[in-house]
Amino acid sequence: MRGQQAVALLHDLGYSNVRDYRGGIADWVESGQPTESATETAAPEPDPRATMLDGPPLAASQSGVAGRGPARLSRMGQFDKSMLDLVQQRSTWQLFVIWIGTILLSGFCYWLGAYLGKRGLLEGGVVVGADLKGFASAVYFSFVTATSIGYGDIVPVGGARVIAVAEAIAALLIFGAVVAKFVSHRQDELVSEIHRITFEERLDRVETNLHMVISEMLAITAMCEAKAPPNRISTRLESAAILFSGELRTTRDLLYQPRLAVEEGVLGGILASLTSALNVLADLLACLPPGFPRSQPTEITLERLTVLAEEICGECVPHSYTPRLVFWMDRIQAAALRLK
Amino acid sequence: MASEVNAAAVADTSGTHEISREELVRRLHDSSLTIVDVLPQASFVEEHIPGALNLPLEQVASRARELLPDFNAEIAVYCGKFT
Repeated sequence: MRGQQAVALLHDLGYSNVRDYRGGIADWVESGQPTESATETAAPEPDPRATMLDGPPLAASQSGVAGRGPARLSRMGQFDKSMLDLVQQRSTWQLFVIWIGTILLSGFCYWLGAYLGKRGLLEGGVVVGADLKGFASAVYFSFVTATSIGYGDIVPVGGARVIAVAEAIAALLIFGAVVAKFVSHRQDELVSEIHRITFEERLDRVETNLHMVISEMLAITAMCEAKAPPNRISTRLESAAILFSGELRTTRDLLYQPRLAVEEGVLGGILASLTSALNVLADLLACLPPGFPRSQPTEITLERLTVLAEEICGECVPHSYTPRLVFWMDRIQAAALRLK
Repeated sequence: MASEVNAAAVADTSGTHEISREELVRRLHDSSLTIVDVLPQASFVEEHIPGALNLPLEQVASRARELLPDFNAEIAVYCGKFT
């Protein structure tokens, strides 16, 4: 739709050869074509065609891209990293099964030695046989070795010693991983819980602040209608606008780069408050007499507010949201147009 | 107010003037085709077709001439989602 509008507009402006790429950036990315981000075009040799219209890119977008890089493991070798990945990918339960499997497999190896007629295990100086009782003894010995208990009632001889050493090392490592996994799982849960609580508190604060902004702006509008001195209005407008733009930025970043899922109701509430705050602000600005002395910070903040609000619309956010949220986003954009 | 103008203009040209992805890919490095991203700047900063210019829809009227000096140049416009 935006594309079509743009084509029509350019056509009206006198451009004769304008065409619309219907699929847009979504189709482009989906078909696996390369894209650029503005941080790339800011390289020493910028493509002259990739001109940015509005000066440097937004700081928030940049830091967001940079912050997404993989965690660096400079001092850790490739081997350690791959081992860590191996452990990381398995669940605690899977690791435990691997541990038991190692013990049973080793037990079977001891028994196989006896079955093939080799001297593998000795119990009280007597060779453990290849029968069922012998198999039970082999598994028992395997457990005693793997858990590093080592009673010594059964001892390995010959080739079985090699298996016993390898088993002891492997089983201890795996068991260590099981324990570590178990502990870290609890820790991860706690950390994500803390994240969630902080995030929800932040959302609450956004809503509270927006309500404050609305009531403050209504108060200023009343002052304005009562023809209060401009300098009193000016200072209050300045602080309200700054608070407003901060919360607007938070909401915009939330829509562009959601770190955690937000409940639709909560997000809808914030968007609705934003819409009414923007409308109240537009009314307030309309009430101010022409030539009203606005301080420089106010000018800059109002400009930033408009840009931020324009960036909130159903079609321009990079994620898809429910129709209700899209409705509010479009209302925000419409309100932003009133600020111009 | 501006949206009324847009809506009327869309009715005039809808269904015509399209460019396919294939052509766009083929002519990506062709300097006779100018690619224009009409999404907001934040979206452009995050991701855009290589070599594209950024001209947010809201600024088309005010800044088109500055950015696209040649009225006869071939221009391909794109936005965010399937329309």
